[in-house]
Amino acid sequence: MRLSSFLLRSFATAALFIAVSSCSENLDSSGVCAVLCPPIGGDVQNLTLDATTVELDTTVNALSGLGTEPSLLLASRGDTLDTRVIIRFDSLPTTFVPVSTGTSESITSVDSAYIQLRVDTLSIKGGGPYTIEAYDVDTTANDTSSAAVLALFRPDRFISSQLLAREDLKDTVRYYISNAAVLAKIQSGVRFRVGLRLTSPLSSQIRIASAERGFPPILFFRATPDTTTHPLQVIPLSKTPTGDPIVAGHLTDYTVIAKGPPEAPPTLLAVGGLPPRRVYIRFDIPASIVDSTTVVRATLLLNQISNPALDPTETVFILPQLVLAGKVVSDPAKAAQIVADISSDTLKVRPGDEGPTSVEMARAFAIWRTQKPDTLPRAIILKTLDEGDSPLEIRFSSSDDVIAALRPRLRISYTSRVPLRVP
Amino acid sequence: MRKLFVAIAVALISSRGQAQGALSLQGLGYPTGELSARAEGTGGGLADFDALSLVSPASIAGVGSPALFFQYSPEFRRVTAGSNTAKTTTARFPLVVGVLPMGQQWALGLSSSTFLDRSSETSLVRTLLVGPDLVDVTERNKVLGAINDVRLALAWAPSPVFRIGVGGHVFTGSNRITFSQLFPDSSKYVSTTQTGRLSFAGFAGSLGLEYRPSSVIGFALSGRKGGDLRAQSGDTAIGSARLPDHYAASVVYDGITGATISARVAHDAWSSLSTLSSSGTKAFDGWDTGVGAEVTGPRLINRIIVVRAGARIRTLPFGFNGEKVSEKSFVAGLGIPLTRDRASFDFAVQRANRTTSAAVKETGYILSFGLRVSP
Repeated sequence: MRLSSFLLRSFATAALFIAVSSCSENLDSSGVCAVLCPPIGGDVQNLTLDATTVELDTTVNALSGLGTEPSLLLASRGDTLDTRVIIRFDSLPTTFVPVSTGTSESITSVDSAYIQLRVDTLSIKGGGPYTIEAYDVDTTANDTSSAAVLALFRPDRFISSQLLAREDLKDTVRYYISNAAVLAKIQSGVRFRVGLRLTSPLSSQIRIASAERGFPPILFFRATPDTTTHPLQVIPLSKTPTGDPIVAGHLTDYTVIAKGPPEAPPTLLAVGGLPPRRVYIRFDIPASIVDSTTVVRATLLLNQISNPALDPTETVFILPQLVLAGKVVSDPAKAAQIVADISSDTLKVRPGDEGPTSVEMARAFAIWRTQKPDTLPRAIILKTLDEGDSPLEIRFSSSDDVIAALRPRLRISYTSRVPLRVP
Repeated sequence: MRKLFVAIAVALISSRGQAQGALSLQGLGYPTGELSARAEGTGGGLADFDALSLVSPASIAGVGSPALFFQYSPEFRRVTAGSNTAKTTTARFPLVVGVLPMGQQWALGLSSSTFLDRSSETSLVRTLLVGPDLVDVTERNKVLGAINDVRLALAWAPSPVFRIGVGGHVFTGSNRITFSQLFPDSSKYVSTTQTGRLSFAGFAGSLGLEYRPSSVIGFALSGRKGGDLRAQSGDTAIGSARLPDHYAASVVYDGITGATISARVAHDAWSSLSTLSSSGTKAFDGWDTGVGAEVTGPRLINRIIVVRAGARIRTLPFGFNGEKVSEKSFVAGLGIPLTRDRASFDFAVQRANRTTSAAVKETGYILSFGLRVSP
């Protein structure tokens, strides 16, 4: 009797175990697919659409205005590039609270004044020494006039200078500025707008973080020799243009180009550079491809033109982006600002290189397929990953090139939908 | 030299086969047989006399008391092709039955059974030219679903000698298909996924007769006449075929005390489904022959255990590379009464070998757990 009970319970337990363990299905019989699973999908069709597919290709400005760049470029690259940095302190404190008295007092002295700069040490060019000169660039001229500001880098506007060795350029640099100049601005109640200029015996370049990146240059100074009282710090502020706080915000710190690298000829497409530019390309792709096939790979074939003017062997990362602006935005320069990412991968090129190169853009087709061309033109832009930060410019042949084979083309690889039927 | 021969054979086979990963899953899928665990345990021999199997509507007249029956039948499959092997587990719930006696002579039954199960998943790596590059693309094909047979049956037993039953069948169900092409480098390529749903709808009618001239022997005849089976993909009709006609004859012998010996032969006109195939997969008419015995076994915990054994050979509906696939099964099973005979548990284990002339072998172990409750 006991044996019978044991057998029955054992059987029940085994049955339960098998039943439960078989509940998790494993249908995958890929191990024998070499024999039992011939291809279902067809071959991939490869098609290269010639230059006539490119409806419009042009170079447009990248940013929406002065001061929108994420970093400030202080460059002295001989005859090729000369850029200055403008920092606006339009509101300076006039009083402070010394620790000794605890009551507010007027500022009557300035000591240890410096501007704290966040330096991108990886992008520094030149071996030094570096001289950074400061000028008073306050003017009533038009806010966005580079010429008016550049004209103020003259001896009578000179404030001070500081010599820095290469090893002095760390992540954070204290740029000491004339105490008297700061005090004079405070006591006269006027704004303090500083222009920085770099000079060096070698071709040199320093990249400084801007307010747009979240690390603005900050002015520090002591209002009393008593070191127990904390130094005062002043964040950049621009009160002009009045009535346009967004532009004023951009102009708290910005780069002004005294001499830019030579622009690419209008017959070429140019990406990057200073001021930064983008390439806008709109395609005329047959609807039969966009709508009725599945594009698994799409490659924009470009011919790179060598641009040896500046750092020809330095790597530049180019990113394709999808233009989201509808057909109503007819200006390519404006349309090129309304974009979305389609790829996390970048094209790596060097300005001095030349020859064929390619940009992968298959994901654009997946999005184009969801919208009509009127709503979503078949357009992309090319921009550099460090747009506005780097003066390097990459050039490509455009659809105006006399040699047809060098014009932009589009290579598409697609599959057709598989009819899912009874086998 | 032998390796070269195998490689050539594999290449030839694969160029014409179907992407379903097993011999038994060709075409519209695997026919579970629509048998209860009890009938399976006897190699199908008892199927025409078994009220819980779906083959003969006459059999429900012998149910005795109202019954609900539910069956779970997982299959552990192993497919071998050359040096390659695949092991799979398929969980099936192939049978749900409700039978209601109405008076002494009539019985009504509503049941649903898996008719053709197509659940499968395969992955195949292909090297394709994409732009200027040769790329390994993984094609993954997953199919879930089955065609089910829902039957409403009415049976009449004017005497213990004779029973007759008729059934109306609705064949319904769907195959959910997911086909993906997976590319290796997502920065360059876009992988694709395509989904589809094939729906099936069809009708059939069945008739069953049971005749027991004496207490020791009985005979049964059953048949199902198939109507149209239509297949749709979304709202689009993609084909139609005739549901296969099915005819069966059985004999049962109770002349040995405590033992029931049964045999059955059936014919299925599966070829009528060929017109539904989009790729020319051939379906074959086939015989299904089974023999088995059910013997009163030992008494465990005051319960009399029924022991069953049987063997079965049949032709599967869909061929591989244009050739028939046959299945040979050996089965053993148990029947255990529960809760004062108001419930019973049936168990069967089946070892099925499926073969064709190609160098592919398939073995499946199907375990069937059936629970009958008389409320």
